[in-house]
Amino acid sequence: MLGKQKRKYGALSFAMIMAFAIYSLSGFASDAFAKEAFAGQAFAEDAFAKEVHAQEAAEGEGEPEIEWSQDVFYKDWEGNPLKGPVSGPPAPDLDESDYNTYEFAPSRMILWIANQQHLYFGSFVLAVPIFCMIIEFVGIRTRESDPIMSEKYDRLAHDLMKVSLTAYSWTAILGGILLFTFITLYPGFFKYMAGIFRPVMHIYALMFLAESGVLYVYYYGWDKMKDDMFLKWIHCSLSVLLNLIGTVLMYLANSWATFMQAPGGIDEQGRFLGNIWHAIHSTLWNPVGVHRILGNIVFGGGIVGAYAAYHYLTAKTEEERAHYDWVCYVAMFIAIFGLIPLPFAGYWLMKEVYAFRQQMGITLMGGIMAWLFIIQAVMIGLLFFGANSYLHNGMSRVKGSHRYMKYAKYMILLLIICFTMWMTPHTIVMTPAELKAMGGAQHPIVGHFGVMSAKNTAVNLMITCTVLCFLLYQRSNKKINVPWATIGNCWIAAIFVGAAVNIIFLGVYGYFLPANQRVGLSVPQVTTTLTTLFAGTAINISMFKDSESYGEIQWGTQSKVGTYAIFLMAISFTWLMGLMGYIRSAVRLFWHVTEVVRDNSVDAYTLTIGEAGKMLTFNTLFVWTQFVVVFWIASLTAKKVKAEAPEGVPVPAQQQQ
Amino acid sequence: MMNKTFMSFIVFVAGLLVFHNVVFPIFTPKEPGWILNRYVYYLAICAFLIIANIALRLKPPISLNALVVWMMGWYFYKYILYPPIPWTLFITYMMLWSIGTFLYISQDAETFREFRKPIVKTIVGDYKIARIVVFIALPCLVGWGTYQAIFPTFQEPVELRTVHPAPPATTKVHGKSYTLETARNPFRIDEQDNYKDSFPFLDVDKHEYMKNVTEGGTVFFENCHFCHGDQLNGLGMFSHVFNPTPANFIDPGTIAMLRESFLFWRVSKGGPGLPNESTPWSSAMPPWEEHLTTEEMWKVILFEYWYTGWHPRTFDTEESYVGQWEKEGKPAGAH
Repeated sequence: MLGKQKRKYGALSFAMIMAFAIYSLSGFASDAFAKEAFAGQAFAEDAFAKEVHAQEAAEGEGEPEIEWSQDVFYKDWEGNPLKGPVSGPPAPDLDESDYNTYEFAPSRMILWIANQQHLYFGSFVLAVPIFCMIIEFVGIRTRESDPIMSEKYDRLAHDLMKVSLTAYSWTAILGGILLFTFITLYPGFFKYMAGIFRPVMHIYALMFLAESGVLYVYYYGWDKMKDDMFLKWIHCSLSVLLNLIGTVLMYLANSWATFMQAPGGIDEQGRFLGNIWHAIHSTLWNPVGVHRILGNIVFGGGIVGAYAAYHYLTAKTEEERAHYDWVCYVAMFIAIFGLIPLPFAGYWLMKEVYAFRQQMGITLMGGIMAWLFIIQAVMIGLLFFGANSYLHNGMSRVKGSHRYMKYAKYMILLLIICFTMWMTPHTIVMTPAELKAMGGAQHPIVGHFGVMSAKNTAVNLMITCTVLCFLLYQRSNKKINVPWATIGNCWIAAIFVGAAVNIIFLGVYGYFLPANQRVGLSVPQVTTTLTTLFAGTAINISMFKDSESYGEIQWGTQSKVGTYAIFLMAISFTWLMGLMGYIRSAVRLFWHVTEVVRDNSVDAYTLTIGEAGKMLTFNTLFVWTQFVVVFWIASLTAKKVKAEAPEGVPVPAQQQQ
Repeated sequence: MMNKTFMSFIVFVAGLLVFHNVVFPIFTPKEPGWILNRYVYYLAICAFLIIANIALRLKPPISLNALVVWMMGWYFYKYILYPPIPWTLFITYMMLWSIGTFLYISQDAETFREFRKPIVKTIVGDYKIARIVVFIALPCLVGWGTYQAIFPTFQEPVELRTVHPAPPATTKVHGKSYTLETARNPFRIDEQDNYKDSFPFLDVDKHEYMKNVTEGGTVFFENCHFCHGDQLNGLGMFSHVFNPTPANFIDPGTIAMLRESFLFWRVSKGGPGLPNESTPWSSAMPPWEEHLTTEEMWKVILFEYWYTGWHPRTFDTEESYVGQWEKEGKPAGAH
């Protein structure tokens, strides 16, 4: 009786909690989905403004003491521009005296190089702690089950951090150079930016200090906090803190770039409207942040991969070869993991750019920047080729992989067909004679590949194919023994075939829909791709239970072609990052801050594609030269201890289920 | 082994020659036939090569396989894809196909070693005749390539043209200023005076709408069809003398990608109104604002979308978003 009563009360309280949860859910959801998260505040400000005006009118004081003006971006619920008190001077009308130049190079180029180099190093030092966090965590988790591997993971994380430490100072120096470049070459513009972002810049500097503090404790405390489990967890938590601070740092710096491209928090004259959060949180802030986090992971993976690949190729002992082969694998695994969602973050960013200014979107995708996107397509295709080539070559060194290697050529064919679609430009370079022979600006067959429906389909199929390749890699040395093996295989096959059919169907269907609905189709396409990733991997791993091994991976036997694929990917990442950064920034054309501060310097021109390509190549070569120097400096502290060979050939945890 | 490889090579070369000279003309009569013919022919030649190799129990080495794969790609882009693609695109596709072939031969260390074997043997010494042939042929090839490169030719220059130039923020037509971000076709209005952006908007029952479409069509056939064609496919009677050719509205890459306000700007300003990035000589279209009224231009645009079945690009607007929320009574505390 009592039990029943108790249960009833229990049920009652559960029901109340559920009711409260459901009641609050709509509130949470509405908060989450509200495009204008500060609408309440906006209304309060608006109401306050009206009140002040009314009061001033009633008092008959004539000129109001506080001037109110309209925001260029933020709107209230009714779509009216948000108002704020004018809190800063108008944007300067810059003339020649506001710029300084050197004889040897245009200021624009110098600033570009300074910016890009700082950004490359910034990305690297933000990515490495993410790596270390993951690797150290995996090391802690495998401590009980596999102490040898755990030790290897820990050593790897420590080694990476050592490189990062040198790179960190290097980044700070480059940041200083960038700051001086801004102040000396673009003083008028910098003054304006500093006027608006003054508090952010101070917080940024303080965060940098905090980052340094945590970084030093994290690195130098490694050995002291290694043995005690409690201290080890504290140590791992420090890496989380490090990443949090790093992310905040990146977001703060991003706010300056996104403000320049799509400003908010100011009026049409460029006067600050008193709310710094509006200036920081402009429309591109979030997509750029997410895109950069993923990009950093991929970039960092590429660099660490190339570092390991170099050591792999020059290794003297078998142990060294095995170790660096394994490091290559870990780095590539993390890079590909970041690469898969990267295009989707890019779509989001472009969507926001279009939403901010249609002209900007068209200039990017259909106008003068469109050909840079074709080059981007080449680079992305190369990345997928590199990733698949690495996986194929990696697979071939595993015993038992012959069962799956025969599918490699079909996967390559699929990749090539998709890449052909992905690379076909909408605007084709041709002579007038060719144009006539073709019968118009668009080819009747391949012309259909020039639009987004085809390109989305192609890239999703390429990603799905890479996922399939990875699943085959995972199971290449496994003899599946679970009783439901046939059903499992059928499910995996069904998921991939179903996904391919669905992606192609949606791609074709897109041609029959209006543009705004067609854009929406990319969501189910992406969902399909991600479903294959998660469901496919989950089923695949479940099937490894009680599996027999055909033999462990022969670490240290990776083919040279597979290793060179890593260099290809690393260079592609670097070049691509520079290219996309240039596109994002150059789309402002002759504005420092879009439609607010005009660039009146002699360097306010858009480069030709060839010139831009040369600059990007220079930046890539320059940064890689620096990376080589940084790696060399980091290696100076390395103790010349002979690598201890663990018993047997080491196998990473992913391969041991 | 060598004989079988040689046999396989002969099958490929002879098969391709026979197919190309005998079968290909049957599939591609002088009168342009059904376009799928070419693809059927291509599948037939591929099937022939596979079946012949299996039937004769030939197992060509990977180096020959790679050569066949590469050549078949070249053959496809050169002869099968029709109408012919521009040189720049051909180069691009062949570059991709070459990368694909390389990935095929380098998919693992084994295949790559096998592929390199004949090359190494040619250089190092096992294949003496091959070496002599290669070392005589190579300088000749280089010489021929150099000759081709420096011999003066009089080809037309290639052109990199911007198809969709970025529109200005505002445009002035007949003394009235239009913000292109927000300008909408005044004739695309439903009974409630709402701008109609739902799909499909082909509602022929709407008498008023069809009247406007018909008037737009009349204007189109009086002024535009000479260049853009009576099927709106860019193949009007004058189209062949223009470079670039007039826009093909049927193509999913033209008006289907654009907002109506963009078309309004392009129609009203024509070629002379294009921004710098699209000039010089990048459109012969006259500025129609000098000949047509604003209403006529909007109606022509209405007609173009109606006729082609495309729908202008629209974006989800803040208002519709808010409107939807208001309908649902949320957010409660906002007002």
